[in-house]
Amino acid sequence: MKFPKSALLLAAGAVIAIACDGRASFAQDVNAAMLANPPADSWPGYHGDYSGKRHSSLTQITPQNVKDLGLAWAFQTGQIAEIKSSPLLVDGILYFTVPDNIWAVDARSGHQIWHYIYPPNKGLHIGHRGVGMYKDWLYFMTPDAHLISLNAKDGTVRWNVVVADVTKGYWTTMAPLIVGNHVLVGVSGDFDNLSGFVRSIDPETGAMQWQWDSTPPVGTPNQPTGGMTWMTGTYDPALNLVYWGTGNPTPVLNGSTRPGDDLYTCTIVALNPETGKLVWSFQPSPHDTHDWDAVETPVLVDGDFHGEQKKMLMQTSRNGYFFVLDRTNGKNLLTSTFGPVNWSKGVDPQGQPIPNPAKEPAPDGRLIAPDEGGMTNYRSPSFDPKTGLFIVDAHPSYSVYFAKPADGTYGWAGADYSLWGKGVIEAIDYQTGKIRWTHELGPGGSGAGVLTTASGLAFTGDATGNFLALDTTDGKTLWHAGSGSRIQSSPITYELDGRQYVLTSSGGVLFAWALPKPI
Amino acid sequence: MLASVVLASAQTPGSGAQGTTVPGAPGSGTRPAGGAGEPATHGPAVYPPALVESGGSLFQQNCAFCHGRDAGGGETGPDLTRSRLVAEDVGGDKIGDVVRNGRPDKGMPSFNFSDPQIQSLMAFIHSQRNKAFSKKGARKGVDVSDLQTGNVQAGKQYFDSNCASCHSPTGDLAGIASRYEGLQLEERMLYPKDAKSKVTVTLPSGETVTGTLTYLDEFTVGLTDASGTYRSWPAKSVKYTVDAPVNAHVEQFSKYTDDDVHNLMAYLQTLR
Repeated sequence: MKFPKSALLLAAGAVIAIACDGRASFAQDVNAAMLANPPADSWPGYHGDYSGKRHSSLTQITPQNVKDLGLAWAFQTGQIAEIKSSPLLVDGILYFTVPDNIWAVDARSGHQIWHYIYPPNKGLHIGHRGVGMYKDWLYFMTPDAHLISLNAKDGTVRWNVVVADVTKGYWTTMAPLIVGNHVLVGVSGDFDNLSGFVRSIDPETGAMQWQWDSTPPVGTPNQPTGGMTWMTGTYDPALNLVYWGTGNPTPVLNGSTRPGDDLYTCTIVALNPETGKLVWSFQPSPHDTHDWDAVETPVLVDGDFHGEQKKMLMQTSRNGYFFVLDRTNGKNLLTSTFGPVNWSKGVDPQGQPIPNPAKEPAPDGRLIAPDEGGMTNYRSPSFDPKTGLFIVDAHPSYSVYFAKPADGTYGWAGADYSLWGKGVIEAIDYQTGKIRWTHELGPGGSGAGVLTTASGLAFTGDATGNFLALDTTDGKTLWHAGSGSRIQSSPITYELDGRQYVLTSSGGVLFAWALPKPI
Repeated sequence: MLASVVLASAQTPGSGAQGTTVPGAPGSGTRPAGGAGEPATHGPAVYPPALVESGGSLFQQNCAFCHGRDAGGGETGPDLTRSRLVAEDVGGDKIGDVVRNGRPDKGMPSFNFSDPQIQSLMAFIHSQRNKAFSKKGARKGVDVSDLQTGNVQAGKQYFDSNCASCHSPTGDLAGIASRYEGLQLEERMLYPKDAKSKVTVTLPSGETVTGTLTYLDEFTVGLTDASGTYRSWPAKSVKYTVDAPVNAHVEQFSKYTDDDVHNLMAYLQTLR
């Protein structure tokens, strides 16, 4: 194809104009101020900003023009591993992962800048949520539970520290949270009786600063192990509190050796980022026996609650309950269900569900809603401030849970089988817990998270691999694109050179969507 | 890019302990193709450790994110150590088919592995199966004897008032307990995942087409007609009605007590 000379000149002119305009300051300094208030041309943390709302102020793509959204570029990892990470965007470069792999990709064109491959290792390669970034350094957790720091410019390793012992059964998948001078990391490990923890690591040296343990030391009588910390928390700079969800207790399906609530498993905790000291806790699943981690994003929202201005924390928990808390003190404001739940005897005065002992796994099986995957899982929900809607990819489901003495009290300690489930986007009114609209996603369920934008759009995906843009006010489909594979990640958005991009992934492919631009 | 998942199982851990950063284009030779090593060994339940080891590496990198690191099942993939197909597999004959062709209807991709790689995977999965019953923290299973706590008479009563409008013990369910047992029977009883739905599509011309529902999302409806031909339409351009008797099983979920499930199971097990 031959370009007219004038077009080339025009293009060159455009490049110069951009260089002098939008990119006048060469480097974005990823520091506390930037992380607390990310510019529109960045997405510097797993959740974008610290709040976990996954809501963008960008408005170029609107309910009116979204029908014209088209592919700007696609990037193929060439991996079987599905992309479950949220890319970071800093200085026009995207950083995203699958287990053992990081890519740096030009956010304008989708071409690869570098690709880092971690050596083969014995950790569980179940998924990877992405990297953290501070100044010019990336922080990446490996399947064998190391944290490595790499130079963002070229992917070379600065240091590599062991976070937990892979031979004991730990692995890691999460994207570190950067708060001040702290790299906050968590761990996974459900098949062995191990303690979960949040650890703060020095961003320069890799040295440990503090560690908060979610459960007592292994071997403490009548106490749980577990409480894994495998999802990125959120942070309130004004209160200087980090909010983190912890996972299920172990043994997983057999609670006989760990009577009581099993603190701090299946719990939302508020930690002081300087010391790791626990400030308050709220437990979505006391004495869990169904693997319902309470690690789903603790979303931080400031606004009206029944006539009072509140600093709130909201979570759609894997166990099927939606919680609104006062995040200054952990007091419950609202508890409701967002799908079929049959395992509790109601809610106690503190707003915590009361587990029904008759619904603990048993030798001849118990029919349980939701299933082990839960009413929702790690994919992000989104909060839309304009409508007051908390929008979540929900998974109404049923399953059978078994546990018998012969299964023992170590690790899984039972068996469970999902029978049926489906995917539904639900828009929850946070003041009442009522579901204002639903959008069916198909049998089985979808693995797509949700992103809302200030123009009134909710981006997500369905069970068959269609990317969707919905009208936030009523859930009607305004745009879709078939992706050819399952969707297992949450969308992000950013604006570069005056053009808004929405990034989604399915299978091992990253897709960038934008409105058409004049050639 | 399936070929690129061929991981170097021969690569020793520790070679490049800091990992590898590859500048340049995606897929630019970042994955040395590795042979899985030893030739197939048929028959014996014990496999050479090196073969199991290389199969294990392959499994961790490509299968564990669905089937779990010990092949004991995960969030999205079934427990292979308790799979009937694995139990019936001889030297990779059945495992190989599934790996090479995938199970697109269930979300499993196909893998372009070489024969030696399939052999190593087979060896790993079989050795995991052997281990599963003794391994400490892995997911456990369900025995037929676990599912014998129900009451046949109560189960029959439940059946007569809740199931008999669609099913018959002398018709579609005759001999069901001879075809399925234990957990497999219970899972089918609660929700038969392979049940087919019928769809009738009315075209703008008024013509109607009926067949087995093969695909449905918000945008496309697809069916397979009596001649085995697949046809699809944009969902907006036609009218369609889906007849999905299996939805009666979904409606039942919220009505069952656990005793109902056990009783119904006891009754079904009499239908031999």
